[in-house]
Amino acid sequence: MSPERFIDLIRAEQESLRRFLLALCSGDESLADDIAQDALVRAYVASGSFLGLSKFSTWLFRIAYNCYVDYHRKPRMETVSSDSQQALSIPATDETDAGFKYQRLYQALGSLQEKEKATIILHYFEDRSIKEISSILQIPQGTVKYYLSTGRNHLKSILQ
Amino acid sequence: MKNIDIESILRDNRPQLQDNPTFLLEVEQKMRAVEGIKNEVDRQRRYGRTAVIIALLAGLIVGALAMSLAYLYPVNPSKINDSIISDIRMFMDIYKNYLLLPIAGCAISLSLILGRQKVFI
Repeated sequence: MSPERFIDLIRAEQESLRRFLLALCSGDESLADDIAQDALVRAYVASGSFLGLSKFSTWLFRIAYNCYVDYHRKPRMETVSSDSQQALSIPATDETDAGFKYQRLYQALGSLQEKEKATIILHYFEDRSIKEISSILQIPQGTVKYYLSTGRNHLKSILQ
Repeated sequence: MKNIDIESILRDNRPQLQDNPTFLLEVEQKMRAVEGIKNEVDRQRRYGRTAVIIALLAGLIVGALAMSLAYLYPVNPSKINDSIISDIRMFMDIYKNYLLLPIAGCAISLSLILGRQKVFI
């Protein structure tokens, strides 16, 4: 795939991809953008292996989610607080809190387990179907439904 | 927050992205860097492959020449003197049947390398 064609394809997807990662990273925009760029470069390197068996955006989101998981698996030198703690530390001003109108919701999301959180974000923030989520997270559709249900219940119990 | 409708809360509170006009530019820069590395790796690989192919071709040609010489000009032991050339001719005459082995090895390796790659050199 030529760089121009690839850029054209990602231009349409970048906003949705960045928003997905922003929610996963509990509002840490610079981290979300770093992971998004890493994912896009990885996708470009692997673009020759994209066979078109799934939608381009599904394939891109799968790579982005794997990059996010890789980032969180990597041991870091400094002690990094958890996502929900990061969300708490973001001051609630108009400038810095543009993505966090509903701070408690994002704190609650941060307390879900990773796949549960990703499922909720993809379904409710990105309007992805169960089938697409199943393909992105590489889990069966039944498991996606289970995560949606348990995720909603967990969020309810945290927010009530 | 009793009896909250979690679905509408989620849908009404999608994260709002801040504009980042440099985002795609940075991605393009990184892609260009990756492209540069890929080209360099490809160049090195092609260089290595070319060297192997040349070595194998040389082996094939020199081996074929040596075999032809050994068969066309058999050594007459009575005319052998002590020079190195004579020693080599003597060696080739004795082992001329085995010269086919390295030649076949070169030919098989060449055909494997050329058969596997779309473009070489």
